Amino acid sequence: MLESSRFRLVFEMHSIQIHGYLLLCFLCPGFLCLDSIRIGVGATCVADEPHPTSVRSVDYLEVIRPILHERCIACHGALKKEAGLRLDTAEKAFMGGDSGPAVIRQDVVASLLLQRVSSQDNEQRMPPEGEPLTEAQIDALRNWIQEGALYPSDEPSEPDPSEHWAFDPPVASRPPGSDARYANDHPIDAWLAWSRQRRGLEHQLPASKALWLRRVSIDLVGLPPSRNEIEEFEADDRIDAKERVVDRLLQSPQHGERWGRHWMDIWRYSDWWGLGEEVRNSQKHMWHWRDWIVESLNQDKGYDQMVREMLAADELYPDDLDRLRGTGFLARQYFKFNRTSWLDETVEHTAKAMLGLTFNCAKCHDHKYDPISHDDYYRFRAIFEPYQLRMDLLPGETDLSRDGLPRPFDCNLEVATYVHRRGDDRNPDTARVMLPAVPAFLGGSPFVIEPIDLPLQAYVPGVRAHVRDAWIQAAQARLKAAETVLTSLTDSDPKFVLAQLDVNRARAELDSIPVRYQADLLKHTQPDDPDTATAIAQAAAQDCRVELAEAEWHHASAVTAVDGATESNIEELKKKLAEAEQRLAKAREQVDAPGNRYRSLQGAAKTAESNVESEESRNKPYPSVSTGRRSALVHWMTDRSNPLLARVAVNHVWARHFGQPLVATAFDFGRKGTPSEHRELLDTLAVEFMDSGWSFKQLHRRMVLSKAYGMSSSTRGISEHTRASDPENRFYWRMQTGRMESQVVRDSLLKLSGELDGRIGGPTVASLDERSRRRSLYFFQSHNEHQKFLSMFDDANVLDCYRRARSIVPQQALALENSPLIQQSVDRIVAALVEGRSDLSDSDFARNAFESILGTPVKPEELRVGLEAMTRWRTAADERGAPADQHARTGLVRSLLNHNDFITIR
Amino acid sequence: MRLGKNQRLASNVGPRRAFLADVGMGFTGLALSAMLARDGIVRAGDAIPGASDASRSQDPSTTNNPKAKSVIWLFMNGGVSHMESFDPKPMLTKFAGKTIAETPYADVQSPDKLKLARVTVVNDANGQQRNAILPLQVGSRRYGESGIEMSEWVPNIGSCADDLAVVRSMWTTDDNHGAQTQFHSGRHMFDGEYPTLGAWVHYGLGMQDENLPQFISIGNREYWNAKDGHYLGPEHDAVPLRIDPKQPLDFGSRPEGWSEEDQRIGFDLVHDWSQIRNVEYPNDAELLARIRSYELAFRMQKSIPEVMAFDSETAATQSLYGIDQPETKEFGMQMLAARRMVERGVRFIQVQHGAGGAGVWDAHGGLKENHEKNFRAVDKPIAGLLKDLKQRGLLDSTIVLFATEFGRTPGTQGSDGRDHHIYGFSVWLAGGGVRGGIVHGATDELGFHAVEDRHYVTDIHATLLKQLGLDSRRMEVPGRKRLEIDHGRSIDEILI
Repeated sequence: MLESSRFRLVFEMHSIQIHGYLLLCFLCPGFLCLDSIRIGVGATCVADEPHPTSVRSVDYLEVIRPILHERCIACHGALKKEAGLRLDTAEKAFMGGDSGPAVIRQDVVASLLLQRVSSQDNEQRMPPEGEPLTEAQIDALRNWIQEGALYPSDEPSEPDPSEHWAFDPPVASRPPGSDARYANDHPIDAWLAWSRQRRGLEHQLPASKALWLRRVSIDLVGLPPSRNEIEEFEADDRIDAKERVVDRLLQSPQHGERWGRHWMDIWRYSDWWGLGEEVRNSQKHMWHWRDWIVESLNQDKGYDQMVREMLAADELYPDDLDRLRGTGFLARQYFKFNRTSWLDETVEHTAKAMLGLTFNCAKCHDHKYDPISHDDYYRFRAIFEPYQLRMDLLPGETDLSRDGLPRPFDCNLEVATYVHRRGDDRNPDTARVMLPAVPAFLGGSPFVIEPIDLPLQAYVPGVRAHVRDAWIQAAQARLKAAETVLTSLTDSDPKFVLAQLDVNRARAELDSIPVRYQADLLKHTQPDDPDTATAIAQAAAQDCRVELAEAEWHHASAVTAVDGATESNIEELKKKLAEAEQRLAKAREQVDAPGNRYRSLQGAAKTAESNVESEESRNKPYPSVSTGRRSALVHWMTDRSNPLLARVAVNHVWARHFGQPLVATAFDFGRKGTPSEHRELLDTLAVEFMDSGWSFKQLHRRMVLSKAYGMSSSTRGISEHTRASDPENRFYWRMQTGRMESQVVRDSLLKLSGELDGRIGGPTVASLDERSRRRSLYFFQSHNEHQKFLSMFDDANVLDCYRRARSIVPQQALALENSPLIQQSVDRIVAALVEGRSDLSDSDFARNAFESILGTPVKPEELRVGLEAMTRWRTAADERGAPADQHARTGLVRSLLNHNDFITIR
Repeated sequence: MRLGKNQRLASNVGPRRAFLADVGMGFTGLALSAMLARDGIVRAGDAIPGASDASRSQDPSTTNNPKAKSVIWLFMNGGVSHMESFDPKPMLTKFAGKTIAETPYADVQSPDKLKLARVTVVNDANGQQRNAILPLQVGSRRYGESGIEMSEWVPNIGSCADDLAVVRSMWTTDDNHGAQTQFHSGRHMFDGEYPTLGAWVHYGLGMQDENLPQFISIGNREYWNAKDGHYLGPEHDAVPLRIDPKQPLDFGSRPEGWSEEDQRIGFDLVHDWSQIRNVEYPNDAELLARIRSYELAFRMQKSIPEVMAFDSETAATQSLYGIDQPETKEFGMQMLAARRMVERGVRFIQVQHGAGGAGVWDAHGGLKENHEKNFRAVDKPIAGLLKDLKQRGLLDSTIVLFATEFGRTPGTQGSDGRDHHIYGFSVWLAGGGVRGGIVHGATDELGFHAVEDRHYVTDIHATLLKQLGLDSRRMEVPGRKRLEIDHGRSIDEILI
């Protein structure tokens, strides 16, 4: 309550500022990429010296350049050069722009730079967005100018965006000046050897065969090798033994499950979530998309083809339900409450996952680093603007709550896309319609949009033969059930008449289906044919008979109810009877004059466009034309001249084999992304990838059969020089140590205990189902629902998971020590190792257990401490009168599952 | 007096990265707390490599003098009416039944002033302007020597009035219950998922005690994502605990037939094996971190049930928290557990009251019954907590925050409810260097807009961080720039 006037003043100013700022940046989430860093840059220069005259020397490189680069050059740099001014070097600041020099040595009054950053006029003050520069920053600039604005002469300019490496198509190459030396080498090893040689780095020796086998098995199928597989491989001294293993693993259907999960991370797979029963995000039955991913990988469908199907199967293969499953990518983006959020996510994650571009940064303003304008963002959005979702019937099921295919279709063909000023969807610039386009700076093939005429089955899904059959099947089942009831009753039973009428209505419905189907078909294929009119009339007549049968049943039912009425409900039941009588009378009339209205067969149900969609919008027919926008997009993306699609995919695959990506920001290959030291290698692999028909399996072979992949992951025996000069192993002088993802932990436990349920695909397993032994990718997973054991080990974040986190927390230890899953696995693994051999010695048991669980032979020292522990457990069991052998073996196996090198991939 | 290169990178990320570089690892997501600062508090300010004391003391953004060690964050889910709790408004009763337009305060609904809302659910039945004024549903009175006006539903909290700093000028932007997340993270749900304050505190402070997790959540939060760490990593998620000594923690109890001794033998064996591997794989930081995580896990199995076992608490203490009364028992036990955690050095205890649906406080109808019942459940336990902390000398070093996602409309929804209201609402703080017996900020006469000393939710974050000796600007994570609004500004007027 004590508030001096000074406080009040300060706080009022503060609230205005915060208020205004909040409005700006809340509407503009991408804006967080721009805010200035304030970690004391220059903040302490003069903090205790309010008088600008008592100047301390200000270092340009330390203090001034960071301010200019953080706050100015996005607009006044190589990217935009607004007002003709660039501030990426001090020299350019002196040269100035349209208004003259920005900096005049020792003239703080005339230096425009200082005038503009310190202006009190909001229209004048730079930078125009975000907070103004701090006092300390302004003081630093002032002091620097006053001191003479010194700067180093060799300051480099900001590179031109068009020269950015990732914006040109990749070219394959070999290390320079060494053709002879590297000619026969594997490209990965040739490039890595060249990189290491230039830096004087040595490299590690190959890992043991057993370790390599464990590594490659977990990487390719997500499961450790069995003891048999280890023994076979150890004994196989053929020159192509490794190739044989890799081929075997790649042919295994488990390979698709393993890599399917990786791509599910990247493509943000999520089952639906909402509030209660209301679907608000993603869609029901998304598992069809998951199955499509797994199958596509197992078939080695080209990645280009996968992208085509994910983004545009409804245009390219409009009546191919198998391929349509791929469009789950678009169905997953659904958000009921805000169309802009929905499309923002579509744009952001299409661009990040497939193109490695942070399009999202251009939602509110021009991109600050890449040549993506604010308009470009909305042009890209326009590609997706017409799409909405519907749920198509699948063969054999008419109840869409049980099964169905969520899929996109172009619904609102004419809807315009506008730029949202400052990213605020309440403030569209309706004067300019944004036409669909991709940014020109990426080059590639022309982006040509041609509307696509859809086949009838696509826009009238009710005429699909399988839809008719499914409705017939459902009606037959219904009829059969009614007949069963009827045959169980004698004709004197009071329920007999109702049961008979029930059979009648079920039969009428069944009879109506082929007639209605025929009418639908003719109506659309030969609308002017007289036969069509006849078919429609027949369908209408049949529908009237259905209604009559219904009305008869309802009437009889109402009569029965009145007969059994009590005083308290007689009035209400009489009212219902009157209604039923009316309905019956009307139905009788209609049978005599059926007209031409009938119920078309339902082949799909539209997903609500939003929570406020009108009935009219919900019921309008599906368009017979699709805009072709998304087809144009995939045509452009999958063309070989596209600089990004192959590179980004190769980088993702690399990251999952080698433990770290070649481009660390796997979702950002733009100028703000982390520059890669391995561009040539990445480009060479990208070109090979495209040459191979975008074959992931060949890419996997390339990577896991390289020498680099086969190296030991230890740092032992490596010189101090190598370790010190490349501590992060950026040049792959050793293999990276890996850690099992949460799914691999659980799946491996199941495999070791011999319990893994090998069935592939199908509906999700409930996340709370503790008994399921299916592979972990089949669990229901959404933003709201997580499988508990998996979530302990850094499960995928369904909102954004370009790389998995890799934490080490005590709860992981508890899960591996105490969970029911571990308990059951331990018992089973012990049983499998003992296999009825009651005379098994502790050391034989321990040896086998070690090899089974860790995939490597036990060392004498490890065996010694293991046996000691077994003795201690035995004693503990004896004291309690528990079975000692079992107890000691259980202890050993449990400990092995808690061994660092179980969860670790060496 | 220029900062050197290393100093410019100052944040507590610095030493972690340096440490990992030293051991030759490039991975991310290690449990910082398990690896650093085992013997005390790492404060971001201390963590600047090479920074001299002189340069620190001149940097106004660094505190060297933490006032608080722990935070108890009490969050009432659903939205507590500020007018019927900590910001009574007699004008509501005066103008009851009139529309706002008919009062002298019609301008509170001018479109310009309503722009703050960032609508989540378009055309939702809730989150609307409510025009006809609902009178106060409860009386109010002055409490304590300071005479702070509060509702009659909070007699026990009122008896602690002289320890409270009531902030009556909060505002937020999400007019739906996404505001719950927003209060914790500072971001509207449309912005995506961001670390909550507890995660930041955990990230900034690391370990104080090694037998317990340092960031604990009690009570369910079904409506919104149960994660906290987000981009800081899952190691900064709150560890959810149940008030049940038998099963307080997922996977927290040994399976049957597996004794503590058995487990000790096993953990020792794993430790020995790790040492052996450490020869073959020297300098493996991940291996070392895992060894430590097992040690903590081993101890947590004992120490966590111990926190939840109230046998050693006297009947008087239990009664102070209302554990002996059915309507206050559940929340009372949570409050007592929170005190026991504070005693054991836990940094951040996040207590959620009123899970289920959008939160039990969400009184769109029947506000009187709703709030009366809910206050009866929390009033005594919260007051018990404050008194108990005080009598044990813990209140000075513990900040207790009472918060909710938004207030409720002055206008009526239906005949007797109030809708969501983001433009002005109340929270209060106590302990940990917060001044007692004061009111800060104000809403207008109808309780509509915060008009005096307005505070966005991150100002509360900044205040708590300041008292803990942390500066959020020094906790930037590379590649994750934060906005000015994310940092907020501490409310210095309520601090001692």
